[in-house]
Amino acid sequence: MSGGADVPVVPPPEWRFRRTFHPAALFRELWEARALVWTLAEREIRIRYKQAILGFAWAVVTPVVLMVAFTLFRKAAKIDTGPVPYPLFTFIALIPWTFFSTSVAQGGLSLINNVPLLNKVYCPREVFPAASVVVAGIDSLISVSVLGLLFLRYGFMPKPTTIWLPVILPIQIMFTLGVTLVVSAVIVYLRDLRHALPLFLQMGLFITPVAFPLDVVPSRFRNLYVALDPLAAVIDSYRRTVLYGQLPSLSLLAIAAVSSSVALAGGYAAFKRLETGIADVA
Amino acid sequence: MLPSGSISATHVWKRFHADRRRKLLRDQVHHLSARLRGGGGRGWRWALRDVDLVAEPGDSVGLIGSNGSGKSTLLKILTRVMYPHTGSVKVVGRVGALIEVRAGIHPDLTGRENIQLYGTLLGLDRRRIRERFDEIVAFAELDDAIDRQLKFYSSGMQMRLGFAVAAFLEPDILLVDEVLAVGDASFQQRCLERMRAVLNQGTTLVFVSHDLAAVEATCSRGVWLHQGVLQSEGPVRDVVNAYRQSIEAAAESTTEVTGELRLIKAEVSGPDGSTPRTQEALDVQLVVESPDVRSGRLYIGVSEGPATPIFVLGRDIQLAVGEIKAHCAIRSLPLPRGRFYLWVGIFEGRQRDPLPWHPAGRFEVAGPGLDAAPRGIVRLAPVHVEAAWKVER
Repeated sequence: MSGGADVPVVPPPEWRFRRTFHPAALFRELWEARALVWTLAEREIRIRYKQAILGFAWAVVTPVVLMVAFTLFRKAAKIDTGPVPYPLFTFIALIPWTFFSTSVAQGGLSLINNVPLLNKVYCPREVFPAASVVVAGIDSLISVSVLGLLFLRYGFMPKPTTIWLPVILPIQIMFTLGVTLVVSAVIVYLRDLRHALPLFLQMGLFITPVAFPLDVVPSRFRNLYVALDPLAAVIDSYRRTVLYGQLPSLSLLAIAAVSSSVALAGGYAAFKRLETGIADVA
Repeated sequence: MLPSGSISATHVWKRFHADRRRKLLRDQVHHLSARLRGGGGRGWRWALRDVDLVAEPGDSVGLIGSNGSGKSTLLKILTRVMYPHTGSVKVVGRVGALIEVRAGIHPDLTGRENIQLYGTLLGLDRRRIRERFDEIVAFAELDDAIDRQLKFYSSGMQMRLGFAVAAFLEPDILLVDEVLAVGDASFQQRCLERMRAVLNQGTTLVFVSHDLAAVEATCSRGVWLHQGVLQSEGPVRDVVNAYRQSIEAAAESTTEVTGELRLIKAEVSGPDGSTPRTQEALDVQLVVESPDVRSGRLYIGVSEGPATPIFVLGRDIQLAVGEIKAHCAIRSLPLPRGRFYLWVGIFEGRQRDPLPWHPAGRFEVAGPGLDAAPRGIVRLAPVHVEAAWKVER
């Protein structure tokens, strides 16, 4: 038997515990956790629709209602969308916007909602916000089918430039994931944010060119605007390629790509830093 | 690189806020301004101070200590749910942990979904989980309840499911925190059996419990934490005994006897006043002082730990004003070698007991020790039985 009576009052600082992150190990851990992300996403969908009568229709209720509202409102605002029917013009923007706002709203709360789980088992914590983003992605797919119906209704065809989609989509996902990560971790420490979040998202809907074209923003501010809100460039590019048959504005798209990458890298780094103390405060 | 199933935690320190404050903006602003004015940070409370815990694959470590001694915190650090403030922690292999299982894993999901979710959290693929599924359901005795949401389970059912999931999904390391608190007796026994089976498979076990007999029965090594400090570590028997003695001493010093009667003398002796010996006679002499005439029932008891008596003897008595002597002769003492407590009380069925049940003295018994129980089998009371063996072929 060994006893331990003479323990110092405070630990020597050189023993301070530091988490070290090796990119390769992190990546492997994330890759191994992919089944977990799917399980959590599946679970979230199950819980969400278990007691809802309308079921999956809820995934499209928000964008459809907003589209109708914007369409009614549009008469007063005098927005010119050229040959494109306005409902299509706004709905194609509402899909990425809803993806973003659902991810942030649900994913932002994903850590505090899963505190019982966080206190019991280890897993890479980013799976919780990531699962919310996956769920929002599934909602988006449902919305895309509604978009298809709208195309049919207006006898409008997507233009061949739609092949640009694989370039635009990653920017949208990176930015969304980055913001979701940071919000989910910060909210654990700063519970006020929970109440402020819907307000921020509401404001975001009007700042982002969802109801109006990007051209409304004066061209000298446009670069800065897109850097701060990469979704603006994403939405503008979707409209240009799918609806107008134009090329996206490459300079704006490049700015958005850089800014989204920064959001994701910074968001992930912040998340990993904040993650260490989650179990202590939750 | 350590082999799978090893635990190596050295110089672990962990602290919490002394006041678990709400995380509101108001509090943060207040805290920040206090800091700017130089009023110092907030107070910290150390939950663990310089704790080491090392286990090799297949080891079984029992973690004991009173409430708030840091056992659960240490377990949480080993599961990587929490991170230490200082020190290094290496846990190699898949960790199955039962911490706060009573709340279940997720209340809104069914038992089936919970098993799947927990398995995925442990890093198992769905096929492996399906393979063990029936075993888990059978062990947890859930049968038809498995497709019900967890929030409609009784606490015992939730706990059974939690234990079954963690113990059957083949972890390399199993961390168990107070599982035996909820289950009924037969389930407790099966839990211990399962833990033994898991140990035989080479799983490393860290077991936290207040049930010292269960710890002794399951673990080979003991670690005793006292107020976040490693008090002692070594073979489970020695550590458990040391801990037991310390809680006995603490219980003794805090017991306060308030009654109308006064116990003047309580003496225990063997034959002819010598040290009591196993399977020999024992004399208990009591002297009680009473202020009035009354009747009641006198009880004496003998315990090993501070609470549960091994046996109790009772007799109705009449008390007169002044002192009264009571003498109890036990013909053959069924206790093994060790240290025991004598408890005394007089009860009369009124609101206040004239002499409350309390430890009145301590005595040593000389004689043979007990045979150790097989691993995983909890011995209820330390009773010495005279036996003669005969093995034939």
